Amino acid sequence: MAKDLVSTLADLKEQEALKIVEGRLSAGEEPLKILEDARKAMELVGKRFASSEYFMPDLVYSGEILKAVTDMVKPRMSKEAEIKRVGKVVFGTVAGDIHDIGKDIVVFMLDVNGFEVYDLGVDVPAQKFVEKIKESGAPIVGLSGFLALAFDSMKQTIEAIQAAGLRDNVKVMIGGGQISEEIRKYTGADAYGLDAMAGVSLAKKWAGAG
Amino acid sequence: MTACTIDFEPVGRRGECQNNESLLACARRLGVGISSVCGGKGTCHSCKVQVLSGTVSKPTPNEREAFTSQELKEGWRLACQTYPLSDCKLTVPPESMTTTQRIQVEGLEVKVHPEPPVRAYRIQMEAPSLSAPDADADRLLQVLNQQHQLNCGKIDINVLRVLSTQIRSWNWEFQAVVRNDEVIALLPQSSHQLGLAIDLGTTKIAGYLINLSDGLTLAAKGVMNPQISHGEDIISRITGVVHSPDDGMLLQKLAVEAINGLCADLCAEANAGIEEIVEAVVVGNTAMHHLFLGLPVKQLALSPFVPAVSRAVDVKAGDLGLHISPGAYVHLLPNIAGFVGADHVAMLLATEVLPAKIPVVALDIGTNTEVSLIHDGKITSTSCASGPAFEGGHIKYGMRAATGAIERLRIVDDIIQYQTIDGAPPIGICGSGILDALSQLYLTKVIDEGGRITDNHPRVRTYKGQREFVLVGKEERGGKPAITITQHDIRELQLAKAAIRSGIQTLLEASGCPEDKIKQVIIAGAFGTYIDVASAVTIGMLPSLPLNRFQQAGNAAGMGAKLALISLTKRAEAQVVASRVKYIELAGAPGFDQTFIQASYLGQYRIIDGKREEID
Repeated sequence: MAKDLVSTLADLKEQEALKIVEGRLSAGEEPLKILEDARKAMELVGKRFASSEYFMPDLVYSGEILKAVTDMVKPRMSKEAEIKRVGKVVFGTVAGDIHDIGKDIVVFMLDVNGFEVYDLGVDVPAQKFVEKIKESGAPIVGLSGFLALAFDSMKQTIEAIQAAGLRDNVKVMIGGGQISEEIRKYTGADAYGLDAMAGVSLAKKWAGAG
Repeated sequence: MTACTIDFEPVGRRGECQNNESLLACARRLGVGISSVCGGKGTCHSCKVQVLSGTVSKPTPNEREAFTSQELKEGWRLACQTYPLSDCKLTVPPESMTTTQRIQVEGLEVKVHPEPPVRAYRIQMEAPSLSAPDADADRLLQVLNQQHQLNCGKIDINVLRVLSTQIRSWNWEFQAVVRNDEVIALLPQSSHQLGLAIDLGTTKIAGYLINLSDGLTLAAKGVMNPQISHGEDIISRITGVVHSPDDGMLLQKLAVEAINGLCADLCAEANAGIEEIVEAVVVGNTAMHHLFLGLPVKQLALSPFVPAVSRAVDVKAGDLGLHISPGAYVHLLPNIAGFVGADHVAMLLATEVLPAKIPVVALDIGTNTEVSLIHDGKITSTSCASGPAFEGGHIKYGMRAATGAIERLRIVDDIIQYQTIDGAPPIGICGSGILDALSQLYLTKVIDEGGRITDNHPRVRTYKGQREFVLVGKEERGGKPAITITQHDIRELQLAKAAIRSGIQTLLEASGCPEDKIKQVIIAGAFGTYIDVASAVTIGMLPSLPLNRFQQAGNAAGMGAKLALISLTKRAEAQVVASRVKYIELAGAPGFDQTFIQASYLGQYRIIDGKREEID
């Protein structure tokens, strides 16, 4: 039996991982099962990143391998078997802040964990969040900010969501920089995450509940 | 009352306590650096000393607040509140010493022809009489005009307040200090004209007392910036100010009081009076500059990062609460843009890079690292958020460069050789040691080029789910916990070093300058002075270039402040430098993320089209 895809992919062994996928596909295995393994591997990658074992380049590399795997698997999938998206998330770095590396990591982790992410970019005005929430109907909002002053922008963004009458429709998480429970209270967010995986856990919890 | 002899231990300085001065005043006069943040008011509790023998004054209410009754019984006192009544022997603990923290004040001296903005003129005035009862001020201006051909029209209000009394006490012979068309100070005949140059850093403040007539440095000293209690980095200080505006005034006051204390120490060392200081120059990054002047900072911390003022500013010392001659001006060099401020301008001034045609990179490494590239007669600058890792922040056993910090480290045949500051038993690791550790772990293949700790070394262990490398074992520390470098520490260092390298790379790309064409890399600042450049090159923090192209320039910002203090030409040059710099904001630069990720790798390489090319 071929080596375990989950551990091979999580160890970032690209060639081996692709070979396993190839073998399983030609053995006629259900494509969705392969994707499920890939998702589990990415969860491990995320955990290793959170514990500092992996670093940003590893994350980027894992993304490349994942893309290669999906490219191989997708043509074998029937339409209705398209990867089921578990939920929608509107995400962005708040107004006045232009940091994107941390935000990109969370967006990536949400994406590989099956979320449909609307990434609004950086320095995003509150109104743009409001519009996107309306348009997409996403029940989850992620506000990122590295600058301590971004906390004010987070607060203002949540106030704008409230003013638009959408506050009860969405759960808001904040993250980036030195975030704490006190800051969560200050901004009026529902929860905060200290790293990318915490963001994914929150989104999963909320998607499950909603 | 007879004078008492005071013995300061463990520094071993001994001297007489004069004229009922406090222990702090006595220490200052004798050059014992006891820290005093509040300036002797008994409120900051930073000047703690222990009286070992001798009789001293009774504890004040401030001291009762600072110490428990047990501590008071053991002789613990605040030096500023305590007056000796007999010969005394004191212990000054390390935390009360201003000198325990190694603070870089020296830099390369650049000779410049003194051409100060203030001049002193010797005055001989006639006493007034009933037949010539003109106002003292009018007669002074008249004399300046007749004896020195000066057309002064202004006299500082502080001068006016003491003018009549002073010139009489000096029997109509004195010196008038003139700046442009204004009389800013009066001094007795025998006085010198001194200047004060200050490098106001986020963490440290360096001060220099200069004789304005010959440009010589009379005394130099560094202290910690007391604003640290309001946040280690500028962003947290700015955030504090934005959320409670009273903090702005408080931070301004803290900086000024620290400079006042520093200034008193410098004057004591040079046997000078603070009233002889008739001009000051202060440099700092844009945030420190704004906090020092009490300017708004919120807009500075948010994109697009706009300073309240960039051009040079002249402000009266009295308006800032600075205790030098009250009519003296404090000159602040121009800021560039974003956080790249007057300190960087001062550094560019001191390193004389401006005329350079060959590519030169000049950087000042700190919590914020400012980098400039001079190429083809153009200057580009940027500011990188290198974070506190090199100051020991966010590192498990990290510490500032103080006694007991590992500052150098080598791994030879699995044996760790290290050197600590003052040769004391190791208690942590400071920036230069952290850099060495990373480089040595990489060279010995304990960590791979991605920075991951491999499990191939007996000193690698797993602690609380994370790999770490033991630098000094528990048994080597007599049972105290081992000093380690954790996987998380390495990630923090990679982020810090990637910020610096990608900053340099972005400037190179924006200027179309190939990295190997760089002829000189000037590294300024305290951290930059103590690092082993080879280590910095090994981990790819600095470009891979022959080591003889690197120059460690010491506190170049302080040197630049000195130059601007004594030379008007240099001030004009600073304005030219500041206006010629093109500022590049990293977060908005194309391809920055890709560059940053590449720059997080260890090893020697060039980054070309967003890819690494190894160099052997």
